[in-house]
Amino acid sequence: MKGQVSLTERVPKLEVVRPVTTGARVTKTFAAAEWIPFAIGVAIAVTIAVRGNGYVVQVLTSTAIFVVLASGWNIISGLVGYVSFGQVAFFGLGAYLAAELIVHFQLPWYMAAAGAGVGAVVVALVLGTIMLRLQGIFFALGMFGLARIGQIAATSLDSTGGAMGETIPTTGDSLQTALTIIGVACGAVILTRVIMRSRFGLQLMAIRDDQTAAKGAGVNTQAVKVAAFCIAACLAALAGALYAWNIGYVDPTSAFNGTIELQTILMVLVGGIGTMWGPVVGAILISLINQVLWARFPMEQQIILGSIVILVVLLAPGGLVSMVNRFGWARRQPVWAPPPALETSDEVAAPGRTGGTHPDGALRGVSLTKRFGGVVAVDDVNLHAESGQILAIIGPNGAGKSTLFDLLSGFARPSSGKVHLGDRDLTGLNPHVIARSGVARTFQTSRLFSSLTVWETVLLASSSLHESRKTAVAETAKILSKVGLLNSWESFPERLSPGQQRLLEIARALALHPRVLLLDEAMAGMTPQEIARVHAVLEHAVAQGCAVVAIEHVLPAISSLASRVQVLDFGKTIAEGVPAQVLRDPLVIDAYLGVGE
Amino acid sequence: MLHDYALLTITGLLWGGVYLLMAEGLNLIYGVMKVVNLAHGDFIVAGGLLAVTLFSTYQLSPITALPIAGFLLLLVGLAVQTGILERLVGGGSQAEIRTLLATFGLSYIVSNVALLLWGGQVQSIPFLQGAVKVGGLAIPENLLVCSIIAFIVAGSVHFWLTQTISGKTVRATAQSELGAASCGLNIKMIRAVTFALGSAMAGAAGAITIVLIPFQSTSGGDLTVQSFTVIALGGLGDYVGAVLAALLLGLTQSFTSYFLGSNVAAAMVYLLFIVVLIFRPQGLLGRAGRV
Repeated sequence: MKGQVSLTERVPKLEVVRPVTTGARVTKTFAAAEWIPFAIGVAIAVTIAVRGNGYVVQVLTSTAIFVVLASGWNIISGLVGYVSFGQVAFFGLGAYLAAELIVHFQLPWYMAAAGAGVGAVVVALVLGTIMLRLQGIFFALGMFGLARIGQIAATSLDSTGGAMGETIPTTGDSLQTALTIIGVACGAVILTRVIMRSRFGLQLMAIRDDQTAAKGAGVNTQAVKVAAFCIAACLAALAGALYAWNIGYVDPTSAFNGTIELQTILMVLVGGIGTMWGPVVGAILISLINQVLWARFPMEQQIILGSIVILVVLLAPGGLVSMVNRFGWARRQPVWAPPPALETSDEVAAPGRTGGTHPDGALRGVSLTKRFGGVVAVDDVNLHAESGQILAIIGPNGAGKSTLFDLLSGFARPSSGKVHLGDRDLTGLNPHVIARSGVARTFQTSRLFSSLTVWETVLLASSSLHESRKTAVAETAKILSKVGLLNSWESFPERLSPGQQRLLEIARALALHPRVLLLDEAMAGMTPQEIARVHAVLEHAVAQGCAVVAIEHVLPAISSLASRVQVLDFGKTIAEGVPAQVLRDPLVIDAYLGVGE
Repeated sequence: MLHDYALLTITGLLWGGVYLLMAEGLNLIYGVMKVVNLAHGDFIVAGGLLAVTLFSTYQLSPITALPIAGFLLLLVGLAVQTGILERLVGGGSQAEIRTLLATFGLSYIVSNVALLLWGGQVQSIPFLQGAVKVGGLAIPENLLVCSIIAFIVAGSVHFWLTQTISGKTVRATAQSELGAASCGLNIKMIRAVTFALGSAMAGAAGAITIVLIPFQSTSGGDLTVQSFTVIALGGLGDYVGAVLAALLLGLTQSFTSYFLGSNVAAAMVYLLFIVVLIFRPQGLLGRAGRV
């Protein structure tokens, strides 16, 4: 006990750290620089639209339409990680909606395009709620199926000319058309940028990296995914509407064309999936290649495009942009960075979360039971976490400790029993709701977001709690300095030591201002210094009235701090009480160390 | 009326056999490698169109064409697995996405090659066009033969997987690659053999089913989804489940196309697919991922 205290004293409880900002300055310079090529690109496009001949302008508009389509696909498949083989379903939907509105309702083209975008969002809202429950191949092929259903529906719809399609009266000259389409493409690029530098974008990337951890950080994953799906659908529908308006014709085969899907995916892959500039770079490059292919190999086009897909996946899965990234160019800029310098040890508690003042802020699990088939993983366990105290949960492997945490944090539903936080019944609530209402957790095996920086990881949790950007940023900086990771704010998790990764997970949990902190073997693999750091952080949290429940394998890691210990074996509580007494309990020694001690 | 229902049921079940035949290769590959070959349908089409050429040029019957198409696709599958899929980097969900994208590209290559070789028109083979009379019901001979072949193939694959040592090594790999490797099995080779065999089954299935379903070079995507529907409904990699799923799909198809028309029947596969994924993602029997 004494040794531990002296260790904690060596670590100052609150350091005043100024984050290293050299990296930030570099980032800022590039922020300005990346707009120069963009502005030049737009200028060239506009010049071509004004000066170019018919053929060149058609290449330009088709490229711009693909920029819109590719940006949409990049949002749902690149940023959220839900690869779709049916984005063309919304392209076709947009084309048909626009055609209907123009032909049968005599709307002007821009109203029709807007109508197509809105219509696609409505459809995507319904479909997304259903489809996004699927993952991986199921989502990808499910979307493919939707595209086919769309095509079949369009073929059997007589009002739009069935399989023959219908003609759309063209209005406006080609310059107006080209400029409109360029404008929408610019809009799609800017939208991507806005998303990637926002809280929403952060949540999307977190879901892509680890959906479970995102929920644990308080992200409403379902709502965020559906929103991204709707945005992607809206962009695809706009592209479809502009396409139909541009060529003045729509038919099922070309509106739901698989080659459009192939090209869109190829563009994003070649440019760089999940990157800001990937869709633009890919769309321009592949469109140009396509022109050559059309001219010289009209029959072999798909063979060549398909081969490029395979080559990119094999040799450069990150695409062109990520190859450039290796030199530090065009790297994604951290969201809401750099961290502000911490002026003083400002001990301002976050609004609305003064943990200590809740008289019954304790977490109670009441006769929790969880059955998996015939196995009872957690059997009638009661748990009581007091504010301002540390409760240690120990027990041999397979005792049901982690399952108990899943029940408390909403990642699993109890077969019977209740979970209460103060007066509030948490039983059956979604993990992100529980996380936001003050029960934060870490995971047994480290679950960090591989493509988010240290800064963004904590900011994600902090911003799901605080609406205001200023508060979220200040809180994140404070928490990072508390766990000693502020100087590594730009690092990705793979660059951190195992102990630092654990600390980052704890920081992410603390960013939720928990009234109850659930730590699942948080100190496994840590050096003594890092353990001391965690102890200091925990003591600070406890002093502020937080209740801590810690699962540990290594007894000394927690027993010195814990005020109570609860021992699980085969899903049941076999002992509980103050550490010194419980650890001498023969039952516990039996279960934990085996007979014959 | 009763007569109609009896006929619809019988042809539905027989069509189920045909769907099973087309899905079996995909099921084997998924069961062992947890990989979905998106070019599967295009392999079926290639096998079918090859049989058309063999029939029209050399007067070979589809039954003879079946092993030839199977062997050629075996070589294609071997090349794809060792040349592409085995070389993809990354693990976990990233690997899954990369495999999907690679086979997605492959499906376009195969269908475009088919287009260049055989043109874009819909083709079929006039073979066994009579009907067998069973108690007043006329059952098409070719449907009967296809279905019988399907169940023979399903039975022999099941026998191979459960009763022979080589089949057991494949199942061991399916259940735990690490475990199988630590028992001294050559995982890479088993994966290559599995993928090649699955591709061969696709080619063979195409050679015989073209008698029933006219193919064109672009039919592959539909057949991939149809096959995936069967194996997803059966519980990805589950052999018994796939049989039940195929029969269910056959019945659904035969009744919807009779009562609601062929357009609805075509959309039905996708609807069934999406409904299954949402309500029964673990498949009919609910033990996903077992071979």
